[in-house]
Amino acid sequence: MRVSAPVRAAAQRAALPMLIFVSALLTVLGKADIVLIDRVRIAVADALSPVLELVSEPVASVASVVGRVEDAIAVYQQNAVLREDNQRLLQWQEVARRLAAENAALRALEKLVPDQPVTALAARVIADSGGAYMRNVLVNAGARDGVARGQAAMTGDGLIGRVAEVGQRTARILLITDLNSHIPVSVERSGERAVLDGDNSDRPRLVFLDPKTPIQPGDRIITSGSGGLFPPGLPVGVVSAIDKGVVRVEPFAELSRLEIVRLVDYGLAGVLPQSALPPPRLTPRAARLRAVETLR
Amino acid sequence: MARVMAPRDNGFGGRLVPFLSTLFFVLVSVVPLQIPGFAAVTPTFALMAVFHWTIYRPDLLPNAAVFVLGLLLDLLNGSPYLGVSALMLLVARTAVMAARRYFADASFAALWLGFLALACGIFAFAWALVSALRGEVLGTRPFLFEAVLTVACYPVGSWLLVRLHRALVRA
Repeated sequence: MRVSAPVRAAAQRAALPMLIFVSALLTVLGKADIVLIDRVRIAVADALSPVLELVSEPVASVASVVGRVEDAIAVYQQNAVLREDNQRLLQWQEVARRLAAENAALRALEKLVPDQPVTALAARVIADSGGAYMRNVLVNAGARDGVARGQAAMTGDGLIGRVAEVGQRTARILLITDLNSHIPVSVERSGERAVLDGDNSDRPRLVFLDPKTPIQPGDRIITSGSGGLFPPGLPVGVVSAIDKGVVRVEPFAELSRLEIVRLVDYGLAGVLPQSALPPPRLTPRAARLRAVETLR
Repeated sequence: MARVMAPRDNGFGGRLVPFLSTLFFVLVSVVPLQIPGFAAVTPTFALMAVFHWTIYRPDLLPNAAVFVLGLLLDLLNGSPYLGVSALMLLVARTAVMAARRYFADASFAALWLGFLALACGIFAFAWALVSALRGEVLGTRPFLFEAVLTVACYPVGSWLLVRLHRALVRA
């Protein structure tokens, strides 16, 4: 079909205000937390996940080659450090064994209700928001693998965030650095409670901390377990700077270099409102994945 | 540069190049790059594609296409405010259309400078918009950082787009 240039130009001109209006309308609707938008967002992620995996695969391979070269260069140094670590950890192992035995004995004595079994699965990061006003990642595991909203997302180093949206084959993790992330934490040394607030910077802020609490750079921050979102004691980060009463926390996990994350189900219902998304159906694949990594 | 912009009627496949290349740039914008300190903020590659095609072939990347691609970018990066990227890209296209004649025969340096001005304007707009939506004044640093990163990566994106563009002209 041939349309003359002036007609097409006129149509273009008319389209622009309309498109701008629709975009503006959507931003306001998105603010109202409309379930439909959440559904569309995760459905699009689900549909495009094969493409995203395809595109992210070569990048991941290049990154892993670079990592290997780095490792090869640093192998002697690392070896020395690891030897030292090993010595220290063997001592800790001793301590842990003794405490485990003592714990078991005390539990038997107190008839304590056992904790829920903890299950976890590993997933690969296939997309990274990278925007100026949000911090989240998309992983290639979803409801069919047993992922559910509110699960903790960790790396070997510490907490990185929580599962915020779940699709069939993908899930979105809200990182602890996001503006909308508020994690109940405590200072390990004093046990003082606070909330870790993301502000889109690399180091989230500690708020609602009693000003009388002694705190100094190097203090470890762990989840407090209040609110029922996460169990207490998950490592989060260390206090890195205190500037005019603003306490910043450096996360243990390297959030800018996430490749594989662990989604951990602590069996806590939590404070999250029930998701409008369908409840996860455990497929045989999910059951297998769960069986692979049962922590306790 | 002038060589690549001979107005020629391309086949149907060729006409899709601007849209598909911008789509590819949208996808690359959300791929985790795993460079320390980099992934926290990634360059908005899509802005480069909109800049390029609006200067040379605005007819092949109309407003409606920009809107759809912006919306897709918002959906993929999990933005709490759907439509912000669509608005950013639409505003960018409108601004570039207005200044198009200055860019048509511009050297690479002039284009880069133009892109710098565009990126500054667009990220300032995004900052103001998201601040208004949240009802609080957000820190400017992440926005500034993203603008700087996007402008710094422009030569790479531009190189790729010029390559595609030549292929389109030859097609």
